[in-house]
Amino acid sequence: MSDLKIEPAIQVRDLRKEFQIRNSHVGSLKTLFLWFRKGETRRLEVLKGISFDVAAGECVAIIGRNGAGKSTLFSLLARIYRPTSGTAQVKGRLAPLLELGAGFHPDLSGAENVQFNAIVLGLTRKEAKERFQKIWEFSELGDHIWAPVRTYSSGMLARLGFSVAVNVDADVLLVDEVLAVGDHEFTKKCYDRIRTFQAEGGTILLVSHQDETIRQFANRCIWIQHGEIVKIGTPDEVLPDYTAHSEGEL
Amino acid sequence: MIEELRELWRYRELFFSMVQRELRIRYKNSFLGILWSFVNPLMTTLVMWLVFGVLLNNGVTSFFAYVLAALLPFTFLQSAVLDSAQSILSALPVVKKIYLPRELLPLAIILSNFVHLITGFVVFFLALGLIYASTGFGVNPFQASTWLLPFLMLISLCFATGLGLLVSALNTFYEDVKYIANVAMYLLTFLCPIVYFHEQMTAALKINPWLYRLYMLNPQAVLCICYRKALLAPINIPVTKNGTPLTVDGLAVKVDATPFPWGWLAYAAVVSVFTLWFGYRTFNRLKWRFVERP
Repeated sequence: MSDLKIEPAIQVRDLRKEFQIRNSHVGSLKTLFLWFRKGETRRLEVLKGISFDVAAGECVAIIGRNGAGKSTLFSLLARIYRPTSGTAQVKGRLAPLLELGAGFHPDLSGAENVQFNAIVLGLTRKEAKERFQKIWEFSELGDHIWAPVRTYSSGMLARLGFSVAVNVDADVLLVDEVLAVGDHEFTKKCYDRIRTFQAEGGTILLVSHQDETIRQFANRCIWIQHGEIVKIGTPDEVLPDYTAHSEGEL
Repeated sequence: MIEELRELWRYRELFFSMVQRELRIRYKNSFLGILWSFVNPLMTTLVMWLVFGVLLNNGVTSFFAYVLAALLPFTFLQSAVLDSAQSILSALPVVKKIYLPRELLPLAIILSNFVHLITGFVVFFLALGLIYASTGFGVNPFQASTWLLPFLMLISLCFATGLGLLVSALNTFYEDVKYIANVAMYLLTFLCPIVYFHEQMTAALKINPWLYRLYMLNPQAVLCICYRKALLAPINIPVTKNGTPLTVDGLAVKVDATPFPWGWLAYAAVVSVFTLWFGYRTFNRLKWRFVERP
């Protein structure tokens, strides 16, 4: 049985992602009839073949400047995109914390959205119903939970999204620097919850631009630049180099 | 395709809750709520009865029922295709953030419209039963061939699902598609025997049997005919010329009801299943590019 532990929770092999950027606007049949002018499209290689493993129970921080490919990597892990080549495999249930509230329907109440998102993330309808109380309490939204989500502030959306994501028994959590939205108290609560999640053996992939956050949570750092991995190692090994490099660029 | 279907099965819980949500959202901010899905066909029935049964009485008993039997499945096709056209685009913010099989979005809309078709038929049979009970000589609410209804609905579902998947996938890239679909659906209203009988069309197209065959190539036209013939008693339609019933020797000239078009029904079934397969295949080929839409 101990073999199972060795198997990584996240396995990324030679992952490449390329986008086609068209200069003309797509969205009309005109572009279909002008297909022969596709020479105008540019290829943008966002990830240029990266490989890494994340063991179960590990917390890994992804660092790099804007446009380095961090979000694309997360989207590939969350199966939003299909890789151009290579593989990105996640074992178990994955809960993304990307831009909280993006998956909510504005006209439905918070409660209905909780129900829906919990099912999207893999709970059955019955489980989602049972789990609601817990999610509601965690969100501290009180009676607002019955109001349509369009009336929510960004902080309230963050609370709701986080409460769902950490209460669906996920094996892997993707945290894309979203916790800064909530107020101080709630941010602290989130970090506490993430720590509990870690202690229970959950795997976390984290994007952060704050050194303290990374040092607090991450066992390892992966530094990505222009779609390639520059360095993998402990925060103490990677962060000084990264900081030095960033300052050098300025 | 097997793998795609397996993935769909894994997400069945989500699918059913999406259908539920779809049914609820539609009448979200209304007082009657889900009851509206009964009120709509009820209103249609009432209007049809008023227009064709009372105001424009053309001598056919319960003519409105004949209209309704074809109109309900047509409305299903129309709303399933036109509603799903926008389904991916309007859910793009969600699709870009959370993984779910994309085909669930149009499929949930199509199935919720199918539920409306079922409630429509419930109202239909209630109305027929009411007339039958109150007059004693209305159209018998049930025919020997009423058992065909579930099969006809299944064929309708296949056809609408195939078209819905196709239109929703294409509309994500070319937004002209939904306008084209709109126009096509409008034209189809007249190319299907809804406010007239196909026997009348046959009589009009008699000059050229190929025109008639061309007319019948539209599977929805065949389905409209079959719904009508399966659910209602066959009637002989009075022939009118310039608005007045045509008579010969004092007797109204009538077009005899044609027999149930089994051959055409088989054709429509094959086309519908093919449409479903083709729509699903096209959708699956395009679905990964939805989020990368430039």
